Amino acid sequence: MGVVGAFCVSVNREICINAQMPGKCATCAEVCPHGVYALDVETGQMQIQNFNACVGCRICAEFCPANAIRINPAESEYISRYPWTFSAIEEVHHKAQTGEYLLRGFGTQGPTPNFDMITVVPSQIASEAPRDKYREECNMQVIIGEDTCEKPMILKLPFVWPAMSFGALSKEAKLALAIGAAMTGIATNTGEGGLLPEEMWLSRGYADEKRKQKKWEPGGSLVVQWSTGRWGVSAEYVNSGDAVEVKIGQGAKPGMGGHLLGAKVTEAVSEVRGIPVGSDALSPCRYYDVQTMDDMKHMVSFLRDVTEHKFPILFKLGPSRPYADVAACIEAGADAISIDGLVGGTGCSPDLVTQGVGIPTIACIPPAVQALKDYGVYRKVKLIALGGIRNGLDAFKAMAMGADAVGFGSAAEVALGCRVCYACHKGNCPYGITSQKEEFRARLDPVEGGERLANFIRATGEEVKILTMLSGHSSIADLSPEDLRAMDLNTAALTGLKLAGFERPLPMWEDGFVGVSGNGKK
Amino acid sequence: MKTIDAKSKELREVNGALRESLNGGPVEIKNAEDLHGLAAGLNRGEVVVRGSAGDYLGVLNSGGTIRVTKNAGKYVADNMTDGVIIIEGNADYGVGQYCYGGTVVVHGNAGDFTATMNKGATIIVNGDVGDEAGTYMLAGDLVVVGNAGENFANYLIRGDIYIGGEWKSLGHNTKLKSLTKKDIGKLEKYFEAHGLDADPTGFKKIVAASEKPFYH
Ligand SMILES: Cc1cc2nc3c(=O)[nH]c(=O)nc-3n(C[C@H](O)[C@H](O)[C@H](O)COP(=O)(O)O)c2cc1C
Ligand code: SF4
Repeated sequence: MGVVGAFCVSVNREICINAQMPGKCATCAEVCPHGVYALDVETGQMQIQNFNACVGCRICAEFCPANAIRINPAESEYISRYPWTFSAIEEVHHKAQTGEYLLRGFGTQGPTPNFDMITVVPSQIASEAPRDKYREECNMQVIIGEDTCEKPMILKLPFVWPAMSFGALSKEAKLALAIGAAMTGIATNTGEGGLLPEEMWLSRGYADEKRKQKKWEPGGSLVVQWSTGRWGVSAEYVNSGDAVEVKIGQGAKPGMGGHLLGAKVTEAVSEVRGIPVGSDALSPCRYYDVQTMDDMKHMVSFLRDVTEHKFPILFKLGPSRPYADVAACIEAGADAISIDGLVGGTGCSPDLVTQGVGIPTIACIPPAVQALKDYGVYRKVKLIALGGIRNGLDAFKAMAMGADAVGFGSAAEVALGCRVCYACHKGNCPYGITSQKEEFRARLDPVEGGERLANFIRATGEEVKILTMLSGHSSIADLSPEDLRAMDLNTAALTGLKLAGFERPLPMWEDGFVGVSGNGKK
Repeated sequence: MKTIDAKSKELREVNGALRESLNGGPVEIKNAEDLHGLAAGLNRGEVVVRGSAGDYLGVLNSGGTIRVTKNAGKYVADNMTDGVIIIEGNADYGVGQYCYGGTVVVHGNAGDFTATMNKGATIIVNGDVGDEAGTYMLAGDLVVVGNAGENFANYLIRGDIYIGGEWKSLGHNTKLKSLTKKDIGKLEKYFEAHGLDADPTGFKKIVAASEKPFYH
């Protein structure tokens, strides 16, 4: 892992409770997901046993009752010793000793092309005047399947919780996502690990199964994922949501199926998935029941048939060949397509796949939009951008590049309290987000979590509204790449956005995407 | 018996008519070999497909009984959770994949990847199965009266696989076990129930070597 050895851990022994009274406190050893601290059971003394394993998440500092811990980055060593950094050396040693490659949770570490080198272009005198965020309206709604389904799915804000499975996440985290969606009118997603019955009514805003009285307005929607492991899937399952999502891939591990390590396969998870307690659930990387593009089309048609043409059918793609893949989803009959970029999060994946496989999100959106335009379905078949979206600024940029909505996976975990320690696969998440253990799960209250998530969505919605209106629009559907400029050549080359100062796209983009790649129409 | 002629009709039309007719007794469907997803998601009723059926016959079946008088295409009974599907002829690739329950009987031969990721159904093939049958099976029974191809029962996790004939090669994580009286009783019942002329005494049983095989 790229961050091993990048942090210095220091404990102020003058205030550390354990240093004063050995045996009295071992909080840091209990909460650290990476075994940095160890308690000597004989003497009761706590020691920093494995300081190089620190990943800089600062969970210990948060939990330390005496506020005695400081974590400082040691990055200069990192630059001077590159490419044989401490973490590169440690990784080779780990493999040499164990014969095993690294697994971890969360998204890509380190810099990759992202939204930060894009700036938003505000309105002044020459363009459409800005709209007044405080006193004027802004349309933020997105409707999926408006022309194709009997019950289109309505998002009150252009956001979704992307697929995160029960198993990868705790039950409490799943329920918090459902409640957060209900409070804000967005959609939650079962992920590939089956449905928790509570998700059905919580996501729609009802506190209990009878659905007598709505507790959370406006109520949200539920997407049920149809994936390669087909965990917990039945005719009833596909009919229990407001949309069915066909998973082809995801950003953190495109070309591979879901990973759930045995440590997280508890009785409850094993029941939903139908696998032995404690065994690894490794989903197939592709559909055993699809061999050709025609099969894929037939799959969409029987899913529509079994759901009586009521609900939209969504597709979820990993970042591979965005133009051709999006075109194939359109041909298969998608009502919306999510495309997840390189940095997209995961509950567990081989480190090298998360780090080194896939196209950055900013380079996925323009070809995806081009494919939608070439098929004449842009803004009809909705595009949902995923992967590395942290706030309203990232969301706005993705939408101005052409996405209709965005999803927050990692950001949702962070909104629930996560401090990005990369240990989601181990099942020891101290906040009970990605853990299946009772003691950790008890720390996460689904309603409180739902409120935090709803707050995050509301604030982010306001951020997107500010940016939409200051650039002269009163609907997110009117955003366009003209609202953005690239601030460096790299970003301009990857995206085709106009380069700030130059006020034109780079010459190779002058004929649009077709001129650059040979794909698509002018 | 009510008859639906599926000739040049769309899936929606045929399945819609079928669902409407189910309460009035068995329904017969003819000319259905080009329809994929016929009788999807049924939760009750009885359907007879006169002739051959296309791909994804009875996908997501959750209680219907479906009989095909000739052959079936790929992915028969895909992701079924309950019900019975009987193919009197042969079935192509991937019979009974991802099933949680119910019974599939193929009187002829079945193709590659039969019963892949079976999670609880009973899948009986009176003839031979192709390669990779029983891959990553997690529960349920696979009974092959004839022979199996390469990599039989690969990465079996749970459930029982019975075979009357031979296999070309056996997959990972498998071990042979002798049949118990209970196994023989179970197989006899299956054969009797579906009118198959087979004798369980010569059968071999394959189970998983470990519930938690190590993967690389
Ligand atoms: C804990 C966790 C579990 C996930 N489980 C699934 C899953 O079951 N199916 C799926 O398609 N994607 C899954 N994903 C990927 C997300 O749906 C989404 O593509 C990704 O988180 C988006 O990138 P971001 O994390 O940068 O927002 C999971 C992600 C996380 C963090
Ligand atoms: S969800 Fe939990 S385990 Fe995963 S990175 Fe965040 S704090 Fe760590």
